[in-house]
Amino acid sequence: MRVNGDFIEVDCFQKNKGDNIVCGDSFVSHKFKEEGRVISVLSDGLGSGIKASVLSTMTSSMLLNFSMMNEDITSAAASIIKTLPRDEVRKISYSTFCLCDIDCFGNTRIAEYENPAYYLFRGGQFVEVEKRRIPVRRDDMGQTAMWLSEFAMEKEDRIIFFSDGVSQSGMGNRHMPFGWEEGAKAFIRECVAQNPSISAKELARRVVIESEKNDGYTLKDDTSCCVIYMRKPRNLLVCTGPPFDEKNDAYLSKLVTEFPGRKIICGGTTANILARETGREITLDMDGLEPDLPPASRMEGIDLITEGILTLSRVESLLSGEGGEGQRRGGPADRILEMLADSDKITFLVGTRINIAHQDPTLPVELEIRRNVVKKIKTLLETKWLKDVDITYL
Amino acid sequence: MGKIEVKICMGTMCYVMGGAELKAAIDSLPQDEQEKIQVSYSPCLGMCNDGGEPPYVQINGRTIARVSTTGLIQILKEELHNAL
Repeated sequence: MRVNGDFIEVDCFQKNKGDNIVCGDSFVSHKFKEEGRVISVLSDGLGSGIKASVLSTMTSSMLLNFSMMNEDITSAAASIIKTLPRDEVRKISYSTFCLCDIDCFGNTRIAEYENPAYYLFRGGQFVEVEKRRIPVRRDDMGQTAMWLSEFAMEKEDRIIFFSDGVSQSGMGNRHMPFGWEEGAKAFIRECVAQNPSISAKELARRVVIESEKNDGYTLKDDTSCCVIYMRKPRNLLVCTGPPFDEKNDAYLSKLVTEFPGRKIICGGTTANILARETGREITLDMDGLEPDLPPASRMEGIDLITEGILTLSRVESLLSGEGGEGQRRGGPADRILEMLADSDKITFLVGTRINIAHQDPTLPVELEIRRNVVKKIKTLLETKWLKDVDITYL
Repeated sequence: MGKIEVKICMGTMCYVMGGAELKAAIDSLPQDEQEKIQVSYSPCLGMCNDGGEPPYVQINGRTIARVSTTGLIQILKEELHNAL
């Protein structure tokens, strides 16, 4: 958690050049929960396809590891240049990068090497940050330089960085003969003006989709856009399972009712407890059915009510990538997933009473223990989606 | 004559033990019979907690355990017959 309670949302959207099957750009980001620190790296490898992908993946993962250990950036860059495999045709080993390191106070350090300059968007406009030039000595080509900038990130700031697939999109067109550099700024300004709380995920996606449009819907280069957005966290409560002790039913209901944020209830019994305690009615929602999952229901004051363990297990498998993007149908598990994606701080309120009937080995499907599924979801949300997740047991 | 009220439990156990197919069973009835039946769902009727026999259905307030699709159709036919 950050010192001032703010949340840093990091997201990246990528599209490959033409119909390449891999992206030559690579993005990694790591959140250090204990330190409240976030490190994100975007790298663009020379050329495109597998060769570029190897170069950029090596660069980004090495930079992330070097930064984690607080290694000096100049020596880190030098080591990377020496380590990268040499391109047999061009006789150089080359990749660009942009490294952004934010500590728990919001102090931000950005190192850029040969990539399009990052943008800092603050209070509706782009802010110029002073950059220090650091020469990088190379044996395989003329001397190059790295640019280092430092500033304190403020609430509602956005840092936007991208590969040249974005800034050079549309190059040679009549409308943008020199590419999209200035156009991109105007486009970002307009996106934020239309939706001031636009998420990092959505802004990054829009920039890349617009670049694709500039290139006539066939990208001429691998295109990535990363957005880092510091804001008040969007809270989500996922309440699942009845409390171990029935006396806590009223307490559970109080916690849910008073929670400041959106709310999901997973479990019929849990929903019934809430309905009983608050005197509200539950109505089942037969739209948007998902095969093999019981339908969702509605209750005043609750954003979504679903069945418990089957739905959570599906959420877990979708999160771990087993379900695949193509299978989204707008059912209860998909709706949970959408709400998880649109939240920063997620609190699981887990009732620990076990339904003995679920443990019957003759059941046609295996029902997992709620607590374990929630723990798995927590790990996935923290590592894959960089969310802040807490579990409270009741 | 009032409609026959059928409430199907959609709790985990009932759903897994065959409750998921009960709606389809009602849908397979002739149209004129379907019109006499009012189907609703419950997130959980709370019957299986102490080792019950899911799936559960409530017909006109009467709780019935371990309902199969054929069993449900039979009960509904009887109810429709009695209501005549």
